Amino acid sequence: MFSAVYVETEARDHPRARAILERYRDLPQIECERYGQIFNRKAQNFRLQKEYPALILARKHGRKVLPAPGGYGFDAGQSHYFSHMLNCIYDCRYCFLQGMYRSAHCVLFVNYEDFADSIRQTIAAGPGNQVFYSGYDCDSLALEPVSGFAEFFVPFFAEHPAAVMELRTKSTQVAGLLQIDAAPNCVIAMSFTTEAAARRWERNVPSIEKRLAALGRLQDAGWPVALRFEPLLPEADSNAYENLFKLIFSRLRSDRLHSVSTGLFRMPADFFRNTLKLYPDEPLFARETQTENGVVSLQQPNREAWLAELEAALFRHIDPASYYRCAE
Amino acid sequence: MNGAVNLAVAHRLEAKVLLDWFDLTEIEPKKKFRCYGGSEGIALTVTGMGVENAAAGVRHLHDSQPPGFRAWLNIGIAGHDSAALGEGFLIRRIMHRESGELYWPPVTDLKLPGCELITVAEPETGYPEDAAYDMEGAGFFAAAAGLISTDLVYVFKIISDNRENPVANVDPKQVPDLIRGQESAIRKLVSHLRERSARFAGYYGMPVEFDLLLDKYRFSATRKAGLARLCRRFHALGKQDRLTALARERFRDAASLMTAMDAELARTGKPVI
Repeated sequence: MFSAVYVETEARDHPRARAILERYRDLPQIECERYGQIFNRKAQNFRLQKEYPALILARKHGRKVLPAPGGYGFDAGQSHYFSHMLNCIYDCRYCFLQGMYRSAHCVLFVNYEDFADSIRQTIAAGPGNQVFYSGYDCDSLALEPVSGFAEFFVPFFAEHPAAVMELRTKSTQVAGLLQIDAAPNCVIAMSFTTEAAARRWERNVPSIEKRLAALGRLQDAGWPVALRFEPLLPEADSNAYENLFKLIFSRLRSDRLHSVSTGLFRMPADFFRNTLKLYPDEPLFARETQTENGVVSLQQPNREAWLAELEAALFRHIDPASYYRCAE
Repeated sequence: MNGAVNLAVAHRLEAKVLLDWFDLTEIEPKKKFRCYGGSEGIALTVTGMGVENAAAGVRHLHDSQPPGFRAWLNIGIAGHDSAALGEGFLIRRIMHRESGELYWPPVTDLKLPGCELITVAEPETGYPEDAAYDMEGAGFFAAAAGLISTDLVYVFKIISDNRENPVANVDPKQVPDLIRGQESAIRKLVSHLRERSARFAGYYGMPVEFDLLLDKYRFSATRKAGLARLCRRFHALGKQDRLTALARERFRDAASLMTAMDAELARTGKPVI
């Protein structure tokens, strides 16, 4: 999975870093002062680096909990995000991370305890029912056997029932979750695109079937499960989404879903520019686009009608009250 | 798939075996830095010793070549406290002792032994750190990284001296043998870099129509960038034939051409998959 492990000098002795270094003892281990020396260097090529990504173990300094962008997520109340990891082991062509970071290496911040302190303070300072999103800059569960992220944060949130944590993922790494009691305030939100889109644009990502099987097991074990249909992309097969919905709702109990959302393909304009530079040969980015309020999306005639049709298909399976459009 | 790779060595003795392996002959006219090339997309420069020469040699070879994407590989001898003579290392981190600058060459899955490199101004005899010591690596890397993505710049060092066999005892005549002893690793590296640079050129090379159109019409710098984007979009959308056809047509000027290209691309209204 990784070609090497870089480790910050000050993170090296953290027990979590020591365990990961031991796990990867056969890989080159290279010390650095700050993760930015490797991660933020100029003249890196994200696309080439994806062939041999490295893991960077670091200590997070500064603000660890940030306000979630407006329109992101399921709760209209106060919402936040925190990133124990930057970047993702999957390689989804439509992902904004490739336009946001110069490097394809994964940074794992090992000082979870400091994140927990910040979250605790945020909970104490704010009103009730705050939401904390963990999968904004990474996949929350994809690296679970290495990171132990959920293993640490699920029990933490279980002790803070007034707050909700969303684990956003495309991973099937749920074995750890299935070994513990379901936490009603920890939502496992699985992202899906259609079968054709997944085949074309999602590399190293578990198949839809496997993701559904993992979600089914979680649902059976009592975990709140959510569905995220992102990014929505126009398809030649007009039945593609309907088929996806049929498949999903034949495997999951829709009456037990925490929430369902959709979100169009969209990217901040500067990230899109970077992504286009990286993939000038990618048909997805060569399409006609439109920019509104600094956000690039694909031009699509009758977009609203298409969305409405798609939502109507979705509402044949779910309660519209559990649905929202992600506008961030 | 074979791309282009530039090799840089400090000394003619380090070049000797490489010229033979890769069938490289000297490029005329001879200038400050001796440069060699062959038919396989591999070139080599002998930079001379020290960081400044290494950097200048890299730039010289680059400037003497037509535009294109080329990976860079520095091969040379180095000292190390404990590593055995003849052992080869793919460098993972370079420190320029004089400036304190750090450089981070890519790590691959080639399973070659790796270590840190410290580039020094004078031959190191004390080997204080667990690292290889050379006199060119930092200069080479800094210069090559200014020309191409750092993911295509590698440094490979072969141990010529250590605590038991100090640098003063290195016999220059042994240098070709030291290089020869790492033939398998060097060939593997060159082959790996050729594949990577070919992929890179495939990703970022311009369609041939771009140059044809540049010759045919006058473009401002802004329009030239716009033309590059349009040519790439034609290729990405699988409309090469339409681009070729447009390139054959006669338009009044560059603006008219680009308007026609825009209109053609806008006709692509099909869904993305």
